[in-house]
Amino acid sequence: MGALLKPPIVMASQQEHLPPAGADHALVERMAAGDERALGELYDRLGRTAYALAVAIVRERADAEEVVADAFGQAWRTADQFDPGRGSVGAWLATITRTRALDLVRAQGRRNRALARAAHEGDAGVAAPLSHAGDAPDRGVERQEARRLVGRSLAELPEPQRRVIELAYFGGLTQTEIAAELREPLGTVKTRMRAGMEKLRGALAPLLTREGP
Amino acid sequence: MTDHRWSELAAAYALDAVDAPERAEFAAHLADCGVCRSELQSFRDVAGLLALALPAATPAPGLRDRVLAEARRVRPIGRPTAWLWLAAAASLVLALVAGYGYWTTRADGIALRGVLDSTRARLDSTSRLLAAILDSTVGTADLAATGKPPSMRLFWNRARNVVVVAAFELPPAPAGRTYQLWAIKKGQAPVSLGTFNTGPGGRAVVTLRMPGGFKPDLSAVTEEPAGGSPQPTQQPFLVGSWQGGG
Repeated sequence: MGALLKPPIVMASQQEHLPPAGADHALVERMAAGDERALGELYDRLGRTAYALAVAIVRERADAEEVVADAFGQAWRTADQFDPGRGSVGAWLATITRTRALDLVRAQGRRNRALARAAHEGDAGVAAPLSHAGDAPDRGVERQEARRLVGRSLAELPEPQRRVIELAYFGGLTQTEIAAELREPLGTVKTRMRAGMEKLRGALAPLLTREGP
Repeated sequence: MTDHRWSELAAAYALDAVDAPERAEFAAHLADCGVCRSELQSFRDVAGLLALALPAATPAPGLRDRVLAEARRVRPIGRPTAWLWLAAAASLVLALVAGYGYWTTRADGIALRGVLDSTRARLDSTSRLLAAILDSTVGTADLAATGKPPSMRLFWNRARNVVVVAAFELPPAPAGRTYQLWAIKKGQAPVSLGTFNTGPGGRAVVTLRMPGGFKPDLSAVTEEPAGGSPQPTQQPFLVGSWQGGG
């Protein structure tokens, strides 16, 4: 984990393909000023992660591309609203992408189908294909490390805890809907979600340190 | 963790998974509870990383161009371009003249797209405005002459160096003239924050930039030649001092 904690300036000198997180913020500032090249650079840095998220939610390549185009369009139009005190650029873009993707799924009335698949995909869950991922691996060491840590942390959660988190985040379900989907008591779902998120927070602590607001 | 009864909800709230009634209660509670706000923030950070657990996926190479083309069509600041409306209107006229269902359908599509884009842009600009005003770092200044109209209220978001200007009962500046807003630190020359004008109703809501790091005591408005002046050329007709904010 040592690499993750190095100061950004060191990371910058090591990696031309992955500028430090502060660079993301600089890109968003340039976007707010109307610099299209900054949008292109942001896409180069975060486009594939956004696309992976969209695919996980909408499950169709063409729809996922639509979602990503929409999400970057929204990021472009609202770049001046980005507040670094509230989280990273990556988290901001993930929120936009997730919202757009869930909107699309709901608009198409495909929600139940996608959900049924998500719920019954088996113990592996969405994180499972990580091991054979990589038709275009990240060249950035920091991001690779982050992927590995998040993938491992999610995979190491007890399966029932991971499932409720995935149904909420990737399936867009509320706790009551998850309880119905899994035929579990609501209280159980709540406890699992809370416990799972706390474990993740502990496991991901090295990635969560950021500059104060 | 904490024995705070609400903290049970923070993790689920960060995942957007709290059911409606509880969600509203928790949202209201957040306004007064720093503990829950910071719990929520930490869980939001966790949620923001979840996408990294997904298998890497490569979108079609054309997607980058599509994203950039979309950006060229919609500027980040300001209103949607007028040509969109013109295009929509032209297509509708064409459809009426031709009278073919095909054209009608197509024109409807274009018109709807135009409406959607403009609605989206208006929503974006409204939420931008709200976000600028509703922030703990916001200081305000009430600018008035002698208790009579016109008046102005300024909201200065110190975190973003943005000043939202709301003007009331201020007649539009005469032709060739404009209003100019100044920020003044006592003992120093006024700093221009920019020019603005009101509409026929005497109202204006505009967003101007405050130079980063500058902490003025007062703000004032003068009437200047169109384009503004480097320094005020007349006595200000509205003055007020800055209050509050971080």
